[in-house]
Amino acid sequence: MTASAAWRRVAWAILAAAVVIAVTPYLWLLLTSFKTRVDILSPQPAWRFAPTWANYPAVFIGKEYLPLLWNSLSIAGCSTLLSLAIGAPAAYVFARERFPGREDLFFFFLTTRMAPPISIAVPLFLFFTATGMIDTLYAVIIAHTSFNLSLVVWMMRGFFADIPREIDEAAQMDGRSRLGAFVGVVLPLAAPGLAATAVLCFILSWNEFLYAFLLAAFEGRPLTVGIPGLVTPHGTLWGQVAAVAVVATLPIVVFAMLVQRHLVRGLTFGAVKA
Amino acid sequence: MGVALRGIRRTFPDGTVALHGLDLAFEQGEFIVLLGPSGSGKTTACRMLAGLDVPSAGSIEIDGRDVTALPPRLRGMGMVFQNYALYAHKSVFENIAYPLRVRKFAADSIRSKVQAIAALLRIEPYLHRRPAELSGGQAQRVAVARALVWEPAICLMDEPLSNLDALLRLQLRTELKRLHRDLSKTFVFVTHDQEEAMTLGTRIAVLRDGRLEQFEAPRNIYRKPASRFVAEFIGRPAMNTFDGEVRDGRFHAPGWAVPVGDRPAGPAVLGIRPEQIEIVSAATDDAFPLVLDVCEPVEPDILWFLRAGDRSLIVRGSGDDITAESGDTVHVRFPRVALHWFDPVTGARLP
Repeated sequence: MTASAAWRRVAWAILAAAVVIAVTPYLWLLLTSFKTRVDILSPQPAWRFAPTWANYPAVFIGKEYLPLLWNSLSIAGCSTLLSLAIGAPAAYVFARERFPGREDLFFFFLTTRMAPPISIAVPLFLFFTATGMIDTLYAVIIAHTSFNLSLVVWMMRGFFADIPREIDEAAQMDGRSRLGAFVGVVLPLAAPGLAATAVLCFILSWNEFLYAFLLAAFEGRPLTVGIPGLVTPHGTLWGQVAAVAVVATLPIVVFAMLVQRHLVRGLTFGAVKA
Repeated sequence: MGVALRGIRRTFPDGTVALHGLDLAFEQGEFIVLLGPSGSGKTTACRMLAGLDVPSAGSIEIDGRDVTALPPRLRGMGMVFQNYALYAHKSVFENIAYPLRVRKFAADSIRSKVQAIAALLRIEPYLHRRPAELSGGQAQRVAVARALVWEPAICLMDEPLSNLDALLRLQLRTELKRLHRDLSKTFVFVTHDQEEAMTLGTRIAVLRDGRLEQFEAPRNIYRKPASRFVAEFIGRPAMNTFDGEVRDGRFHAPGWAVPVGDRPAGPAVLGIRPEQIEIVSAATDDAFPLVLDVCEPVEPDILWFLRAGDRSLIVRGSGDDITAESGDTVHVRFPRVALHWFDPVTGARLP
C-alpha cells in the first residue's frame, strides 16, 4: 500500500467520523418523532421499536402548530426579500461609488452584528411595543432584516465588485439609466451570489429564536418559539418536540443542498466575467 | 455641426487633474484618434464624451446642443471597451440585440439589424454562443457590433485593440477602417499606440498630462510635430532629439557637431527622424563621422545605433546598405529639409 493510499484511508476515516457525529443526533431526532412516550422514556434506548404516526397530527393539528410553520415561512421569506431589496442596492453602491467615509460606513454594517443579540432585545421590545407591532409577524421580520442586512451588504459587495465596471457602463451606453443598468444587467450577472446570500439569510432567520420569542411569543410565533410550548407542567412531550423539530429541519436540509450548489457557483463567480 | 469639447477640466477627488481645460472640436464623419501615454487624459476625454464621467468645468456640444448634463443613454453614442464588457449571461445574439431591445425596436427589425451587423463583422457563426466561448478577436467584434447595431451617430472606442495579440490587432484595425468608410459614422478612438493612430485617424489629437499638444492629420503630426513631445512620441523608432547649441552655422551637441546652415545662434533642440538620416561612404563637408555601436536588423530595414556623445543616434536604413560592424566609423549626413527645431525650455516647435 502506497503512502498516498494510506493517507486516503485516514481521510476517509476522519470524514466518516465527522458524518457520524453530525448525522446521529438528527437520526435520533427522526426516530424519536416516531416513538411512543413509553419508548422515548424507556431506560434502554432502542434503535428498533414499533413506530407510531401519532406525534405529527397530535402537535400540528391537535395543538394547532400548523400556522406556526406558515409563520416561520413568512418571517424567513419576507425578511430575506426585504434584506436583499435594501442590502443589494446598498452593496452595489459600496462596490461602485467612491464617497467620503465609505469604508467606515461599510464597517458600521458589520458592527451591528458585533454586540450580543440580547443587548438590543430590550430596545427592540420597547420600540415594537410603542409602535403597536409587538406580537406580529412584522416585528420579527423587521428584527431579522436588521441583522440579515449586514450579511447581504457584506456578501454582495464582493459579488458586485467582481463584475467589471465596464459592464454597467456598456449597459448605460446601450440605452439604460444607471438604475436600469443595475437591474437589467448587473443583478442578473450577480444572480449566483444573490442566491447564495438569500439562502444564508433564509436559514439564519428560520433558525432564529431569541428575537422571535421576545417579539412574537403568541400570535406571530414561528416554529422555533413553538417548541418550548411543548415543555408542559406534566412533563416534556418529547415525541411532539421531535416531530416539530423534524419539520423545522426539513426546509433547511433542502436549502442546504441549494446553498451548496450556489455557494460553489458564487465563490467561483469571478470566473464568469468576460 | 459637429462635436465640441470646450474648456473641459477634470479634477479627481484625490486632487489629480486629468484634463486641464481641453478644447477639441471635430466634424461628423471623422475618425478621431485620441493618442497619448498613460495618464495623458485620453480615456478621461473619451468618457466625458460618452457621459460616463462628468467634467469639473467646461461644456460638451453635439451639433450645437449642450449635452454636458445628459446621461449616456441620451447622447446617441455607442462605445467599445478595452475588455469587451460583454454580458456573460446573454448569448452573442442577445448581446448585440441589447441596445435595440432597450430602445424598444420591433422583434423582426431587431433580427434583421443584428444579422446585418453580424454579417458585416463576420461573426454570424457565433450568434448562438456565450461570450465565454469566444476568442478575444471574436469578442471584440461582438462588442463593436453591439456598439454600432443601433446606428448611433458617434462610436467611441477606448483602446479596443489593446487586449488582442499582434496579428489580430492588425486585422481588426483594417476592419475598423473599412467599417468607418462603409458606415460613414463618427469614430472616436483612444489609443496609446502611435501606429494605430497614424493608420486609422483622419485627425489625431495628441494628449500629454491632460493637455492637447497637437490636433492635426497624421501626415502633419508626422511631418510637422508641434512639440518635442509629439516628435518623440510619433514614429518607429521615434525622432532623434538632441539638446545643444547653434554656433557659427553648426549645431554643437556634447561630443559631436553637425553643420546646419543659417540658424540664429543660441541653445536649441535638434530633431531628425531615423529614416531621413543618410549614411554616406566617405567624409564630405556636410557629413560627420560617428562610431557604430549596435545593429538591429528589422528586415527589410536595419537600425543603426551610433554613439553620439553619451547618447545614441538611431538611423533607419535599408538592410542592403553598406555593411559595417560594431566599432566601425560611419559617416552620416543630415539633410537640411529633414531638420526639426524645438525650444529647449518649452519644447515648442521653432520655425
